[in-house]
Amino acid sequence: MRTRRALLLSLVWIVALAGLGVCSIIGAQKPLELTMFSYDINPNYTGFEDPIGREITKRTGIKLSIEYPVGDPEERIMLMIASGEYPDLIFHKGAGKFVDAGAFIDLTSYIEQYGANIKKLYGPYLKRMRYDLNDRSIYYLGCYGVDSQIWDVSGFELQHAVVKELGYPKMETLQDFENAIKAYMKKYPTIDGRPTIGLSLLADDWRFLISVTNPAVAATGAPDDGQWYIDFETQEAVYHITRPEEKEYFRWLNHMNALGLLDPESFVQKYDQYKAKIAQGRVLALTDQRWEYEEAERALRQAGKFERTYGNYPIVLDERFKRPDLWDPGYSASWGVGISVNCKHKEEAFKFLDWMASDEAQVLVNWGLEGVNYRVENRKRVIPPAELEQKNNDPLYIKKSGVGLYVYPFPQRGDGLVDPTGNTYTTLTKDFIKERYSPVEKQVLASYGAEMWMDLYPQSSEFPLKPWGAAWQIPTPMNEDFTVPLQRCDDLCKKRIPEIVLADPSAFDRLWDNFQKELENLGIHKAEAIFTQLIQERIALWND
Amino acid sequence: MSRTGEESGQLNYCFEKQQKYKRYFQRLYRQRYLFLMVLPFLVWVIVFKYIPIWGWTMAFQDYKPHFSFLEQTWVGFKYFIELFHDRQFYLVLRNTLVMSLLSLLCGYTFPIIFAIFINEIRHKFFQKTIQTISYLPHFVSWVVVAGIFTKLLAIGGPINQLLLELGLLKEPVLFMAKGEYFWGIVTVADLWKELGWNSIIFLAAIVSIDENLYEAAQMDGANRFRQIWHVTLPGIRMVVFIMLIMSIGNLINIGFERQFLLQNNLVKDYSEVLDLYALTYGIRVARYAYGTAVGIFKSVVSIILLLVANTVVKRFNDGTAVL
Repeated sequence: MRTRRALLLSLVWIVALAGLGVCSIIGAQKPLELTMFSYDINPNYTGFEDPIGREITKRTGIKLSIEYPVGDPEERIMLMIASGEYPDLIFHKGAGKFVDAGAFIDLTSYIEQYGANIKKLYGPYLKRMRYDLNDRSIYYLGCYGVDSQIWDVSGFELQHAVVKELGYPKMETLQDFENAIKAYMKKYPTIDGRPTIGLSLLADDWRFLISVTNPAVAATGAPDDGQWYIDFETQEAVYHITRPEEKEYFRWLNHMNALGLLDPESFVQKYDQYKAKIAQGRVLALTDQRWEYEEAERALRQAGKFERTYGNYPIVLDERFKRPDLWDPGYSASWGVGISVNCKHKEEAFKFLDWMASDEAQVLVNWGLEGVNYRVENRKRVIPPAELEQKNNDPLYIKKSGVGLYVYPFPQRGDGLVDPTGNTYTTLTKDFIKERYSPVEKQVLASYGAEMWMDLYPQSSEFPLKPWGAAWQIPTPMNEDFTVPLQRCDDLCKKRIPEIVLADPSAFDRLWDNFQKELENLGIHKAEAIFTQLIQERIALWND
Repeated sequence: MSRTGEESGQLNYCFEKQQKYKRYFQRLYRQRYLFLMVLPFLVWVIVFKYIPIWGWTMAFQDYKPHFSFLEQTWVGFKYFIELFHDRQFYLVLRNTLVMSLLSLLCGYTFPIIFAIFINEIRHKFFQKTIQTISYLPHFVSWVVVAGIFTKLLAIGGPINQLLLELGLLKEPVLFMAKGEYFWGIVTVADLWKELGWNSIIFLAAIVSIDENLYEAAQMDGANRFRQIWHVTLPGIRMVVFIMLIMSIGNLINIGFERQFLLQNNLVKDYSEVLDLYALTYGIRVARYAYGTAVGIFKSVVSIILLLVANTVVKRFNDGTAVL
């Protein structure tokens, strides 16, 4: 009995050990898993288990396990740096902190050795990715499409119903915008039984910048340079809220509030409340970007309320200014994916990134699998109608198919660029955008004599080249003299601007002047001087 | 007294001391297994509570994460001086203390009253139902609670509608935009969420009171209110004191979840609390040292509050401290 039991036990051991051995042999063929941190959240991420993710693993032997931040990504990053525990790949929006902490490896020699596809994709912009004048290492590969065409504009939004009702009035200045809102609101104080809202703003956390302060920059003809306005002649940076032109924009908002045309909840509402109001179809006007109100608009489309969706108009403060929405800042190359010093498979990680830059990968991530997501007819890539229908209307399409999931933030060809087969790398084309317009939208556009919204805007050829690209991408140093005053000023803006806009118009000038004085006392000029230097260094770096 | 007396006294003293040590070690030896059982927890406390205090050195350095300890530059009290010169710090401190005192006052008295009320309900099924319903909100995350409250208090929200219907208001009020309401809103939200949960411990204490005491009180002709006053309340006194000291010790550690989720730009002057301040001006701008300085300040205040509370309770509690 006893011997039998001992035999049995040893048998179990042998089987277990053999199993282990087999497992380790299989394990050798298991994909290499790389960890990655992404600055931006991606609700569609499937853990690389969607068809496209699996295909990438099949072709490269690599699987990405991506961590997305919960809450403020900056805080997650600061904790990551403090602990020194970096994942293999890091997608950052501002390399300064990582470079200061020595978190990235220099990719220059890897690019020389294994980076054929990367060299082809970035071309002349590779030199823009060098860190700064003192340290010309390349620490990351820039995100966003290289040489992308801008076809999609946002600007100031007005419901189609409003312009239709008023007989398509001229829509150029804030005055036109205001008149339209006022006239329509007077005629229709309620929409579907709920009170009509004139102009609604969104000030929830960082969205404040998108819907409250950036419109002031755009309406006064300046390009989007983040918190900054950069003088073209002197190349000096100023904190853009200090521009006298923008004071007039906020005076207008204040005036709108006094007339009752501004949503009183503008500075209080949370993002979901804002979207809910838009989806109810009772907000006449917005000063927002499409990606922010898109979801709410989709609900209106699904409900068939096309006249409650929005058109985009190039509204400016007055005739002196030109809407800069189509102003191409040029490829700015300062946010992107880097390989950390902790990565144990640096070469494999780099080769993976290089593969992502290849034509083969670009077609795979943008178009999907041939025969499944697209077909080739007469050497042209075509998305079958059934697939297109899903792509346009199924909110879960990206998650289920994986198409488009791994384009950003990896190396990416821009919209409109054509590959050797004569097809565009991305699926976005002018025709594609036009196809998405609703009948009401087409009718409104026709009445304004345009085919696309971008036709109403000053074209990109009218603007000069920006020698510094997009200033909001410039990596800033972790220097207390810069970060602390800037943080304080940003916080002050979020507090004061709502107060000033909601104040009695007679108090506007006094409050605005006080606000400017407070900014000065917080040391904004010191930060401006530091940023000016960064701009000038960047121009020097790009041109040498 | 003679010299010898003094000497013998000293001798006696030495002897007693020796005896005491001997007895001490004897006891120690007898209880060795007990000590062994405590040991893992002692190690745990040292590793997780005391060793991290070493990190406090950071507050006195111009801390850069990628340098080793010896490579850091020492800056002395620079960050503390900066902290105490920052006007915003005092604003934030005020908000922290006011909101925490409010939530202590409400979040402490109401659960006791609630526990007593529940205990007085004779219908068992009804009692259990109320209890369960009341502590369910505890499991709802603050994100959801903040969403509920902002919707309730919105211009077209139920509260405004109710007040308008009742004729108490002529125009809808933007509750969330008024700084002076913010503290109240946070306190009420907190109360709604935690009332039932916080009352559990008091309820448990009430249940453990000897039934005979109530019977005796009844014999003496005490009505329900008298019974509550003379039996229930004294019976839960110790639990009440312990809970009080624990919450006072945590006065300054109120976290920032509720404030962060309920706030908007218009009420920032009333909503920003110390933890959020440390996060924004410490960690977010890579000033780990500054964040640590705020942390040290908080710990010192907590310890002082704890000791004060303990002394006060000692006074009230016939000279026996709870701690």
